[in-house]
Amino acid sequence: MNTLKGTRAAIFFGMLPALLIYIGIAIIPIFVSLYYSFFNWDGISAKSAVGFDNYVRIFNDSVFWLSVKNNIIIMVTGLIGQIPLGLLLALLLNRNLRGSTFFRTVGFMPVVISSVMVSLIWGMIYNSEYGFMNALLGFFGLDSWQRNWLGDTSISMYSVSLAYIWQNCGLYMVIFLAALQNIPGEVNEAAELDGATGLRRVFRITIPMIRSTILVAVVYSISNSFRVFDLVQILTGGGPAHMTEVMTIYMYNHAFVSRQFGYGSAASMLILLFSLIVVSLVNRLGREKDS
Amino acid sequence: MSNNSNWFRVLTYVFLSAFALFNIVPLFYMIVDSFKTEPEYAASPFSLPTKLHFENYAKAWDIANMDTYFMNSLIITFGSLIITVLLGSLTAFFLARFKFRFRKSTFAIFLLGMLVPIHATLIPIFLIMKNIGLLDTYWSLILPYTAFHLSLTIFILEGFMQGLPKDLEESGVMDGAGVYRIFWSIILPIARPAMATVIILNFIYNWNEYLFALVLISSEALKTLPLGLANFVGVETASMTLQMSALAIALVPIIIFYLLLQKQLVTGMTAGAVKG
Repeated sequence: MNTLKGTRAAIFFGMLPALLIYIGIAIIPIFVSLYYSFFNWDGISAKSAVGFDNYVRIFNDSVFWLSVKNNIIIMVTGLIGQIPLGLLLALLLNRNLRGSTFFRTVGFMPVVISSVMVSLIWGMIYNSEYGFMNALLGFFGLDSWQRNWLGDTSISMYSVSLAYIWQNCGLYMVIFLAALQNIPGEVNEAAELDGATGLRRVFRITIPMIRSTILVAVVYSISNSFRVFDLVQILTGGGPAHMTEVMTIYMYNHAFVSRQFGYGSAASMLILLFSLIVVSLVNRLGREKDS
Repeated sequence: MSNNSNWFRVLTYVFLSAFALFNIVPLFYMIVDSFKTEPEYAASPFSLPTKLHFENYAKAWDIANMDTYFMNSLIITFGSLIITVLLGSLTAFFLARFKFRFRKSTFAIFLLGMLVPIHATLIPIFLIMKNIGLLDTYWSLILPYTAFHLSLTIFILEGFMQGLPKDLEESGVMDGAGVYRIFWSIILPIARPAMATVIILNFIYNWNEYLFALVLISSEALKTLPLGLANFVGVETASMTLQMSALAIALVPIIIFYLLLQKQLVTGMTAGAVKG
């Protein structure tokens, strides 16, 4: 097809608009963000270069470290709640049960709902006066378990996590299910001939077969946990007293509430950096085990 | 042995049913309670409503400006979707069906976008939009949504088009059709299944987006559904049933959309996650 007259120009002009929009809006801003992070700037008056000052100030801010801790809570609880649960559900649904389509449909439903809706729904569930959670506990006579789920700082982060897991678990279930269905039938037959059945087969054969998918899911779950914003912003706004603030909220507050665009940019660069570090660590660990 | 597996079967169903309940109950409870009066709800969130109070819906629709939000979400979602799919499919076509210099690197640059966390671009985009006077317009969302979803769109479509037989374009070439003609009347129609996946994916991502809308849109008349809803619930704290009606209005269409197009949605979102 290279020989067609004017093909080269057609290719160039055909891809140009997509490239322009994509590079201009999705790629260049990252470098711009990096550039801004070395300035003190409210977006209106002149920028003043401050070198690494923004980063130093962030590292000395205890609220930032609180937000890092909360991100770690979301990451860890997210991993625990999504990967093993998703895998278990997928293993169960892979057995050609009656009604498995129903369970899969229902399981994936929260994934398509916007995180805004998920937060609003869970906000009502957690409502301390009229919420479903406390009413349910009261209904079973467990009044002593009733809590101010989002206001009590010792548990509020875990309440956020539960909503987060609720929203995403189905995605991992479906990812694992797709991987399980790709395991060739002969593998299972051979395993059966060798007498590997039940749990043994699951741990010795099935799980190793989908190892790479599990690794991808773990990486995805981690990088997702660094992006959490909507859920926290709507459920708690990061409060009470910054106790549920995550790094994206920290960035948002500094950039768009107190108009410190340089400082906010530095925070956004740190989120990027942290998530890259954790993801590459996990990737390396996963690969090492391979060899 | 068979006794054992019967027990296992029962346990499986108990577990799966518990999971299904966990998924459904929050949604179901919200929809049921949205039909109650406020005192009825306060008395018990579990009881079924004595009478279906549709007036909650009429009131929520009115107070919450739901029609405006729906309209804005539709315009922005489809505006971006059309541009993304059009430009994305054209780019995917060239990347998949032609050999040219920089083909590989161009593709790699597009793939890179799937790794970019979008919040890292938020501050510059806000300032750029402000400087070129697009802040608080439909375009301030349509352009970023397009930019962010081009990667996945191109990735999925390129994969599909690459798999098509090599001699597909030949009849077109014989007829003397130009490159764009071949794209439009030969490749695009065949790529319909992949196009469907991509369209649905773009729809759901654009429809649900919140962070950029929060930062880039400020006037009430331009708010999208997620933004408007979050705002409404934040303001209308007095009436839980009214909040629930507003949520249900937004929830029901997306659930129906999901049930109708489940297969493509599940495949698309799984591909998006695994490759992204």
